Amino acid sequence: MGKIELKGTVIIVGNYGSGKTETAVNLAFHMKAAGIDVRVADLDLVNPYFRTREARHILFEKGINVVLPEEKYMHADLPILAPQVAGLIRNPAELTILDAGGDDVGTTVLAALADSFVGREINLIQVVNPLRPFTETVEGCKRIQGEIEASSKLKITGLVSNANLIDETTPDIIYKGYELIQELSHQTGIRVEFITAHEKLLPELDLSRFDTPVLPILRQLVPPWKKPGL
Amino acid sequence: MGKTFSKPEALTDAHTHYCPGCTHGIVHRLVAEVIDELGIRKNTVGIAPVGCAVMAYNYFDCDFQEAAHGRAPAMATGIKRVRPDLMAFTYQGDGDLASIGMGEIVHAANRGEKFTTIFINNAIYGMTGGQMAPTTMPGQRATTAPEGRDVEKTGMPIRMCELLSSLATPGYISRQTVLKPKYVNKAKKAIKKAFEYQMENRCYSFVEIVSTCPTNWGMTPLDALKWAEDTLLPYYPLGEFKTPEE
Amino acid sequence: MAKVLMKGNEAIGEAAIRAGCKNYFAYPITPQSEVAEYLAKRMPEVDGVFVQGESEVAVGYMIFGAAGCGERVMTTSSSPGVSLMSEAISYIAGARCPAVFVNIMRGGPGLGGILPSQGDYFQATKGGGHGDYRLLVMAPEGVQEAVEMTMKAFDLAEKYRGPVMILGDGLIGQMMEPVEFPEDFDATPMNNDDWATSGMDTRKTDKRNLVKSLFLDPKALNDHNLLLKAGYDRMRQEEVRYEGYNTDSEYKILIVSYGTMSRVCKTAIDTMKEEGLEIGMVRPQTLFPFPEQAVHDAAAKESCSHVVSIELSMGQMVEDVDRCVKGQRPVTWYGECGGDIPTPEEIIDHIKSLLKN
Repeated sequence: MGKIELKGTVIIVGNYGSGKTETAVNLAFHMKAAGIDVRVADLDLVNPYFRTREARHILFEKGINVVLPEEKYMHADLPILAPQVAGLIRNPAELTILDAGGDDVGTTVLAALADSFVGREINLIQVVNPLRPFTETVEGCKRIQGEIEASSKLKITGLVSNANLIDETTPDIIYKGYELIQELSHQTGIRVEFITAHEKLLPELDLSRFDTPVLPILRQLVPPWKKPGL
Repeated sequence: MGKTFSKPEALTDAHTHYCPGCTHGIVHRLVAEVIDELGIRKNTVGIAPVGCAVMAYNYFDCDFQEAAHGRAPAMATGIKRVRPDLMAFTYQGDGDLASIGMGEIVHAANRGEKFTTIFINNAIYGMTGGQMAPTTMPGQRATTAPEGRDVEKTGMPIRMCELLSSLATPGYISRQTVLKPKYVNKAKKAIKKAFEYQMENRCYSFVEIVSTCPTNWGMTPLDALKWAEDTLLPYYPLGEFKTPEE
Repeated sequence: MAKVLMKGNEAIGEAAIRAGCKNYFAYPITPQSEVAEYLAKRMPEVDGVFVQGESEVAVGYMIFGAAGCGERVMTTSSSPGVSLMSEAISYIAGARCPAVFVNIMRGGPGLGGILPSQGDYFQATKGGGHGDYRLLVMAPEGVQEAVEMTMKAFDLAEKYRGPVMILGDGLIGQMMEPVEFPEDFDATPMNNDDWATSGMDTRKTDKRNLVKSLFLDPKALNDHNLLLKAGYDRMRQEEVRYEGYNTDSEYKILIVSYGTMSRVCKTAIDTMKEEGLEIGMVRPQTLFPFPEQAVHDAAAKESCSHVVSIELSMGQMVEDVDRCVKGQRPVTWYGECGGDIPTPEEIIDHIKSLLKN
């Protein structure tokens, strides 16, 4: 288990509901705490609720710059891409995290930004939760991979296991996710960047089982009857 | 001497409510004969419109559903998608199909739904009492066009066969009439072809029948036949507009 | 089967398949489009039917046609779309066809907004379409309950030969929760040979079936509506479902709330209980039939001085609550309907202000 080494522009992709936003937000907190300058952009044009913009206040509080659509369009049912995003890609922070929407549909927007990506090193990170439909198997993950690469016109460079059942997550679920992501990595030659685990679960985990860094998660995107950051 | 004329099996014994000189009765009979000849009566669902034929289910002796105004093609879509083994036909008038149901008919045809539409075009709303239809002729009087249809304000009559045959999806689109005995056999052939395309799961099929409405036109049955031939047929030319072979 | 993590919208789609519904017609609208997107992938895997109709109007009648053949069928939409489907719902109720409609509500009236709302309570429970009909309406509070209710909806639609609605707000559709699908669900449809237009050959009979809602003879129409009414009366006897929350306590105030809103109320009730303040709640799981007796009896409890209906609307269910409390206690409304959901803290503040007065 080592340190998360991501730098430059990191785009978080994955199948619908794999936990991209929760991963992006927590990655931002984690890296910021490690003294890295982090900026985040919400590219999720497909999801109407539970987007990075929902966590904007806490991101701002922690000194993380967030690029969002204009306030007046924040709840619009419109696929609006903030013009600052292209600028952010051209002049990235030490770590720039772009949170894309789900599936190939959610990453189509990346193809529209293709001009900004030219000549830059881009980390395209696929988040996988094997407890979600369509990614229970390596084959399912590979299919989504192909679809995302085709629609974004970019190559996936890293993998993240975000195995969870929210409040019902057990160590076994984390181990199962780890095994699946290792097998996916083995079959595709794409490296595993890290796996995630809720902070409360960390003491119950045998961390020596992992060759990869573990990103501790505190859930920020919660329904209104729960408190975020717990 | 054998019996030369008998009621098709696909018609019930009920007497129709249609007015003297109305062509609905002839078209019902042609559809029923085709159903008999193809042996599909016990595997067919008809969809009745809102209009004079709203009670068509009283006359056809097969399963029937009754639609809301204009929605018969959507219902037929539902039927054929969940039961492609059944035969389905919608029987619709001009107000039903070309006005309130324009969206449904165009999209069903464009999806290439495998059902058959019999479209009765008599250039007027019959059931509701002689109001202007999308197919009413310029200058033709209607209760909602007391001075005759003013095309400056209401546009020109809509030609459904021409409109539907402009869709790129393959289909069978034909316009026929039953105004004279010489037309009747051709109309029946077109109806049969339409059902056959459906049986072969080939394409959407649509047969328009240029018809009469002496009651709402305010004409004797004979005058109505003549008016239809002189006025409607030049604007609504007969023939096959499209076949799936094209 | 092990638990999986699903969005409410996906889970509703999967629940339909597990309930033996292989026929889905829909038109996209936020915040329920994930049902269509999920089923566009899943239906081909089970040899099912997926059709994106040209409008919600057309979809309503595709449902009617399919339901008229006696096949299990479902559509999903959100508020403005359900308005367009309401015409077909009336015809389907009139023609006595079983069908399942899902409304993942967003704000209104008009285009409103895309955030969660419960503004279609009246539309769902009091009509929506024209004529003397009722919808059996179930309101889930989360993803697991959405699954159970969706599956049950198909049985109830057949039992009563009519449309059944799942009424969820946008959050029910959008949020993710762990969910388990029951293994022992009997997905066999009821025999419908006596009414469905399934083809005389299929039924091996010479008797044809008619699916219709036209009854021109006044006596025939009245008799038909009496038949429908008998079904609705039976629903009132047999299908009422609700959950009592903290109703064993000596609560000072009774909350009536459903769906997402009731989840927030539960957190508020738990927090107040820790502070020593007892508040009870009746959560209707069926909105029609409404838990009339349960609300009446809960309001009558000696310790209870006030009843508050907490909704994501400007006060719709409160009229039913008031009707059931029958003047025993004051009944008031609290809520929001712009898309923001009151927080547990706001509810606690409101409850405390009620107690002060």
